Amino acid sequence: MPSLFSASAIGHDGAMDSPAAALTASRESGDLAGLLHAVAGGDRAALADLYARTSAKLYGICLRLLGSEAEADEVLQETYVAVWRRARSYDAAKASAVTWLAVVARNKAIDRLRVRRPASAPIEAATEIADETPSAIDLLEAAEDRERLAACLDELEEKQRGLIRTAFLDGASYPELAEREAVPLGTMKSWIRRSLMRLRGCLER
Amino acid sequence: MTDERRTDPEERDLLAAEYALGLLSGEELARARGLAGADPAFRQEAGRWRGRLAPLLDEVAEAPPPPHVWGRIERALPLPAEPGSNVVELKRRVVLWRTWSAAATALAASLALVLATRPDASPSEPMVATLASQTGPARLVATWDPAGRTLIVAAAAGMAPAAGHSHQLWLIPAAGGNPHPMGIVSTRAPMRMVVPGAMASDLREGVMLAVSVEPEGGSPTGLPTGPVIASGKLVRT
Repeated sequence: MPSLFSASAIGHDGAMDSPAAALTASRESGDLAGLLHAVAGGDRAALADLYARTSAKLYGICLRLLGSEAEADEVLQETYVAVWRRARSYDAAKASAVTWLAVVARNKAIDRLRVRRPASAPIEAATEIADETPSAIDLLEAAEDRERLAACLDELEEKQRGLIRTAFLDGASYPELAEREAVPLGTMKSWIRRSLMRLRGCLER
Repeated sequence: MTDERRTDPEERDLLAAEYALGLLSGEELARARGLAGADPAFRQEAGRWRGRLAPLLDEVAEAPPPPHVWGRIERALPLPAEPGSNVVELKRRVVLWRTWSAAATALAASLALVLATRPDASPSEPMVATLASQTGPARLVATWDPAGRTLIVAAAAGMAPAAGHSHQLWLIPAAGGNPHPMGIVSTRAPMRMVVPGAMASDLREGVMLAVSVEPEGGSPTGLPTGPVIASGKLVRT
């Protein structure tokens, strides 16, 4: 099954080079955006269709971040319920539908990861998560071009690049990254912060 | 640190990045959440970082979720505040049918019979059941949209239940077996529901819908306990 992203507006892989593939891709991404629009209007059948077409992508993200099928099941459920409530806030000018959905799933999984470790979070923070967190409302601004992001990540040192990727894709927190790399927490923070500033500088060039 | 991060834009933007990536925990996470709730610029910067790194999610391998998850999602959905146009169309049709059934039950019934025999209707076409008592005029009309799995049931005027009682709708499976409770019929507004997938497959042409008188709030046993006051079969429109 081809990646859903290859059919999205941010896709820049080889398949997009052929006009026919590009046409198909734009139609497919248009369909997902259209489905989200229908979901925003309260159309349950559209949500079912959207689920059929995107749940494997989103479940993959939940599994990767949470590492547990039981939790991934629950977070996938939370994700589509949030999509049902929040579809109205999707802005096709900012990101493709599948990118938006992927970020909703990732936010939900990150929220779950931080609840899972009550030792590091005060109780008020945990109860706050039960509601619609701001991260689920103001989700993302314009999605970056994939090749551009890859080029800017390549400008970082290999270790720093790996840390940013681990943080984003595995949901690792500062204390976890510090433990993994066996460095003091303060060292890890300054590595990451320096990398983030360099990354932003490159992306804004 | 706290004050510095609130005042220095550079520091605040870095905190937004850390928040967006999910690096924060404990007090720092709580502080970032507070800022996200209160400060649109902070929220926007966090959104920018999510957008910057979102393409990385493309690398994650797809994995089909277990089949039971979708059923749970459906059950967890709140009823939509603004129904889609399809539902509006169905409501319009219900109003039409209600007018008809009050004024000309016999005509409606015979027309439904004629329509039911139309050979080329597709299985996803909407269906209608006119629920009547054996002697009296039609009392309810149910409209079933298989595409949207939406069932709308409208009661005719003048069929409010007696005090302390409710009128409950049932689906009587064509294959036999116990009736399924489908909800309490309101006399004030048409009842609209999205039917779960398993039950939706039972809502086929020829299936019987019935309304019984039950204690207020519905049958305590899950099966009809009072007299059936109206029933009718689903037919194609």
